[in-house]
Amino acid sequence: MTLNDRDPLIDDLIEGSISEADFFKLEAEMRVSSEARQAYYSRLKLTDSLRSESGLLFEEESDQTVSAWPGKFSVLAGIAAVFAVAFISAFGLKSSLEVRTSDIAAAEPIATGYAVLAEHSEAVWVNQPNLNRGDLVPQGPLQMESGLARLELFSGVTIILEGKAEFEINSPMEMSVLHGKIRALVPTAAHGFRVLTTSGDVVDLGTEFALNVTPEHADMHVLDGEIEWHPKGEQKQHLSNGQSLRWTATGNPESVAFEPSQFTGLADFEQRFVSQRLQRRQAWSDNAAVLGNDTRMIAYYPIHQSNEWGRQLLDSSQSGLNGTVVSARNDADRWGQSGSALNFSPAGSRVRVSIPGEHRSVTFYCWARIDSLDRMYNSLFLTDGHELNEPHWQIMNDGRLFFSVKRRDAVPGSGKDKHIAYSPPMWDPSQSGKWLQIATVYNVDEQTTTHFVNGEVISQDRITDEYIVDTVRIGAASIGNWNEPTRGDPNFALRNLNGAIDEFAIFSGSLSASEIAELYEKGRP
Amino acid sequence: MEEQKQNAAIVSLLTQNQSALRLYVESLMPGDPHCDDVAQDTNTIIWEKRNDFEIGTNFKAWAFSIARFQVRKYRFKQAKDARLVFCDELEEIIAEEMSNHLQDLSEHHIALQACLKSLKPSDRDLIHHRYFKKTPLKEYAAKMGRSIGGLKVTLHRIRNRLLLCVERRIALAKEAQV
Repeated sequence: MTLNDRDPLIDDLIEGSISEADFFKLEAEMRVSSEARQAYYSRLKLTDSLRSESGLLFEEESDQTVSAWPGKFSVLAGIAAVFAVAFISAFGLKSSLEVRTSDIAAAEPIATGYAVLAEHSEAVWVNQPNLNRGDLVPQGPLQMESGLARLELFSGVTIILEGKAEFEINSPMEMSVLHGKIRALVPTAAHGFRVLTTSGDVVDLGTEFALNVTPEHADMHVLDGEIEWHPKGEQKQHLSNGQSLRWTATGNPESVAFEPSQFTGLADFEQRFVSQRLQRRQAWSDNAAVLGNDTRMIAYYPIHQSNEWGRQLLDSSQSGLNGTVVSARNDADRWGQSGSALNFSPAGSRVRVSIPGEHRSVTFYCWARIDSLDRMYNSLFLTDGHELNEPHWQIMNDGRLFFSVKRRDAVPGSGKDKHIAYSPPMWDPSQSGKWLQIATVYNVDEQTTTHFVNGEVISQDRITDEYIVDTVRIGAASIGNWNEPTRGDPNFALRNLNGAIDEFAIFSGSLSASEIAELYEKGRP
Repeated sequence: MEEQKQNAAIVSLLTQNQSALRLYVESLMPGDPHCDDVAQDTNTIIWEKRNDFEIGTNFKAWAFSIARFQVRKYRFKQAKDARLVFCDELEEIIAEEMSNHLQDLSEHHIALQACLKSLKPSDRDLIHHRYFKKTPLKEYAAKMGRSIGGLKVTLHRIRNRLLLCVERRIALAKEAQV
């Protein structure tokens, strides 16, 4: 049987459309020919991958159709649901149960929203426990119990919001306020910006105004420029610079003193959060000094320690393993302090290090800002080449963390050369530009690899006896890139991280989940 | 606590090996629309027998042996209208060889993602309908004004092209020593 005869029959077999005569012909061939069987396995694998990956071809359709648990795996889903609670309490595992990686890869998220939570100061949200600085403001009604928040709408409008507030961003040019105090700065490009309240609408014609909306009344204060007030069922009114007006819920105008000072302004706001942030940075910096003395620390690079943007990156641990910065440019760190992080997006960027010694368990830890994952492999830390006993720590282009220690040389037919611990996808494009704490613990004693993001366990892999490596060696390595760009395909050769790192550490030994959570609490901006 | 740990480990292993398990079942009963049912039954049995599994031993081998048994059980039930089934000898070989074939499925998926992008738009559309939307070939042929035979040939050629591309990419990745 020639290939041209055989392979179409294999496809028919897999598709379930083979005739009886052809089936027996193919079966006879497969019994004697290992090549025919190999072709069968390859085509079967291809079909399986096609089923899971073809959803990515047309992304606008895939988001509606793909779910993390297809119905056919409902039994497994049920099992996972029953035990999810037990798991979270036992191991702090969260998302790893709910995903089959290939399905998640197919469900590519689309960022939705009209505004970003640019900054906040002790803002407490109802039903939005994870809403944080840099996040898109979720659509639908929102409640802020207390605190201050600065929203940046995509139209350029800046809103400062004081809790307690209930509101909704309807579009880049419109918001509803049910309750609460807001101050709006409207640039020329966004004139016509509208705020809807229960008693009427405010339309901006100028630059800055403030509103205090309560169930009883809406107070308007024009700080600069002009607004139009469109009360329900009444003639519109103009208000300009220095004017104020109260409109009661029953539809009557009343006078109210012009008191812009009762609203937090941008300058006050900035001052408040900048000082808070500087305090947090200082606290982290104090803690970093202590951390450098941790006896388990193999190498520690809090990046502000570099020598004034010379190309040397100072090791703050006691090992003195200074790194050399190549091509990477300086960037703002996670507190916004410029020059205190390294940006690895310029081609060839890396920090070269050489780390001697042998270690049993190891912990890799960093704070990184990922701008995009456009490489097939996006490096966090890679040893040169990939020799025996060496770790590789990187991020796949679908957002999964990758960690491996090479166990043996790849010999065809003898199985894998290492165990790769993948996490579920932990990054998608909506997180572009956000700082994340990423850590991976390779624990030889427990034979596990555990991935952490922002202080929480996202997955744990068991490593069998066959693949565990009890002597980890590092040697020459790069932070943020890989040292051996290879021939041919740029997808494989380029691995620099499109993003920035402002703190990087390698510990000998395995840090506990609580230690990593504590580092997160102390280090979060 | 011990039981919880065991359960956690099993769910995690079961989740990790879901694709491989499904594919293993399919290799033993290609083209059979009940592959998913058998894979699901296998999940159930694995779960029921979870306490028999010794953590640290080869989960895949254990799960595959259960899957193989489930395939046979399904055959037995279907015996009356069983049509095209591999003979025992070939099934034995496939069961053995296939388990070695099911490593690094994720590498395969990633390589394929890139390869799909290199297809021309009409081929991508065909693949999308065939494997994602699961449009019957007949319906698609009518819509596109093509013959079923012609579409089958096109599909076969696209598969050949993708296979070459995936193999090349995986080989390159191996050379690059991940």
